[in-house]
Amino acid sequence: MLRIESVLTTRAVVTALPQTHKSNNSTLWFQSVPRSYKLCRNPLLLNNSKRKASYSSSNSSRMTSFTTRAAVQPLKNADELIDSVETFIFDCDGVIWKGDKLIEGVPETLDMLRSKVGKRLVFVTNNSTKSRKQYGKKFETLGLDVSEEEIFASSFAAAAYLKSIDFPKDKKVYVIGEDGILKELELAGFQYLGGPEDGDKKIELKPGFLMEHDHDVGAVVVGFDRYFNYYKIQYGTLCIRENPGCLFIATNRDAVTHLTDAQEWAGGGSMVGALGGSTQREPLVVGKPSTFMMDYLANKFGIAKSQICMVGDRLDTDILFGQNGGCKTLLVLSGVTSLETLQSPNNSIQPDFYTNKISDFLSLKAAAV
Amino acid sequence: MNSCQVLSRENLTHLLDSVDTFLFDCDGVIWKGDNLIDGVSETLDFLRSKGKKLVFVTNNSLKSRAQYALKFHFLGISVSPDEIFSSSFAAAMYLKLYNFPPQNKVYVIGGDGILEELRLAGFNAFGGPADANKTVDLKQNIFFEHDKSVGAVVVGIDPNINYYKLQYGTLCIRENPGCLFIATNRDAVGHMTAWQEWPGSISDSIISHSGISAGCMVAAMCGSTQKEPIVVGKPSTFMMDFLLQKFNVSCSKMCMVGDRLDTDILFGQNAGCKTLLVLSGCTTQSALQDPSNNIHPDFYTSKISDMLDLLEA
Repeated sequence: MLRIESVLTTRAVVTALPQTHKSNNSTLWFQSVPRSYKLCRNPLLLNNSKRKASYSSSNSSRMTSFTTRAAVQPLKNADELIDSVETFIFDCDGVIWKGDKLIEGVPETLDMLRSKVGKRLVFVTNNSTKSRKQYGKKFETLGLDVSEEEIFASSFAAAAYLKSIDFPKDKKVYVIGEDGILKELELAGFQYLGGPEDGDKKIELKPGFLMEHDHDVGAVVVGFDRYFNYYKIQYGTLCIRENPGCLFIATNRDAVTHLTDAQEWAGGGSMVGALGGSTQREPLVVGKPSTFMMDYLANKFGIAKSQICMVGDRLDTDILFGQNGGCKTLLVLSGVTSLETLQSPNNSIQPDFYTNKISDFLSLKAAAV
Repeated sequence: MNSCQVLSRENLTHLLDSVDTFLFDCDGVIWKGDNLIDGVSETLDFLRSKGKKLVFVTNNSLKSRAQYALKFHFLGISVSPDEIFSSSFAAAMYLKLYNFPPQNKVYVIGGDGILEELRLAGFNAFGGPADANKTVDLKQNIFFEHDKSVGAVVVGIDPNINYYKLQYGTLCIRENPGCLFIATNRDAVGHMTAWQEWPGSISDSIISHSGISAGCMVAAMCGSTQKEPIVVGKPSTFMMDFLLQKFNVSCSKMCMVGDRLDTDILFGQNAGCKTLLVLSGCTTQSALQDPSNNIHPDFYTSKISDMLDLLEA
């Protein structure tokens, strides 16, 4: 394995965010080089000790073992769970909708939680292609009554993070990502470069070619980017390597994502991986499973994390996010994770409960009467 | 402990006596961009006249061996393709050695050099520059197809990297059972651009930019597949084992000459041969002597033609 001995630390100063109690392992299992990133007890760093163990090689044949572990329970007493928390955080893809289709029973379930039992509902998604406003529209189109303030996309998280550290307004942000990030940065009052329009820029690998880059770029934000290309990677790399103190921020590191209902698509983890490979630096991750968004909304709404239940369909983002934050976790099987994967001996991420889909809250309640 | 010695007449004489084969990296040792480094031609002639075997080992996968031989030729140096080991060639040799079934296809994220070497070795390779302009239109009903008979994805530096290629490679590796993930190399940055001098600048310093290299394309694929690749280029021992066997030479009588600590010098050290760092490429003396550096070559000098100067003195 290649080992590069020099270690780069960023010189960012982070104002205190509510701290998580988990310690952070900054070595990602798929990076061959351990790097240190000095930002004491940074809630933005991935907790990977669990991530590492949860996925074996994706090509290995599924292990059909009939001796399953008894650790995670199917949800039976929905009332008990509902009564024990004040807030539900929902992931979106695979929980609320699949592609552009609403999952069965969602509107009634959200209504019940909100109106009947007065729970606060929050929606947290790693998908950075849309802004909160654009997500608000999507909810509206699907007939759901959700306000912008209840939505936390990783695009918003990136802007919120920069705000929280008082990122100077005279500095610029270079974006390797889509419109959602640009919109959120603009709303937060930050100057940005890049985004989708750099998708048309080409470079020529000829001797004598020298790429110019803006020396005022103080942060590079990287997320899912369908217009990804060499120019952007090179530009971002130059900013991070050559602009003193330039931040490297990732909206999320999901390996694959369900952009369409039918199949997996290479996710933000790919773009972030590329920049990590060229800069030899670890990014600050603002999306799940980093607890930044959890800390932000707990702080914003004044809620205790023990009063939260995280509901999601992915073990290494949603459930890990909930666990890192110290709240209850419920896995739904309406998205990317099957019961088999959950119960596989290779999986070490155990949510508190699992159930088929969120409308089980209604059917379980009815059954209990 | 820094055990690295500056090359001197004395230790060079000893080196020449004890070494039969010299391995040279190319970028930053033989040439910089398209310009031959001073004195290279004469130095190589001298070594050949002393009966030394010369082998050129490069991680740059953009060209095939034949294309590299042409480059040497244009620069006035006579080198046969058999003396060149590019990482593009290494990828093809890896598949050959491990009996990759010829009915399986190979998807390439990289340049023509890789495609050419794979085809020369008899494999059904596709992708590469042909996918440079492909886009992905993420409409709701779209289904991204990929060839289920792809048994290996080879990733190298790719100036035309785009989402289509990343998605194609990702689906092959994640969904085709047993599909190999091969990387030509993992260099973070390379020197595609020539050193640029700014005449009249205050410090008269040489300003250059590092161009991103294969390392980031490979890391992009690691990010989406959550798998580690098989690396065939430096500093992996695959290339070394292959050429040791091919040339029937012994490590102890070999010297690796390169400009990068984490690929060239580490490559030589992993194999147990002598190592000589030249400062004509991307490593400066201060980087070499920096306390954070743990890779110490046996010797270092400013450029390979120092060999001639030292012996003449």
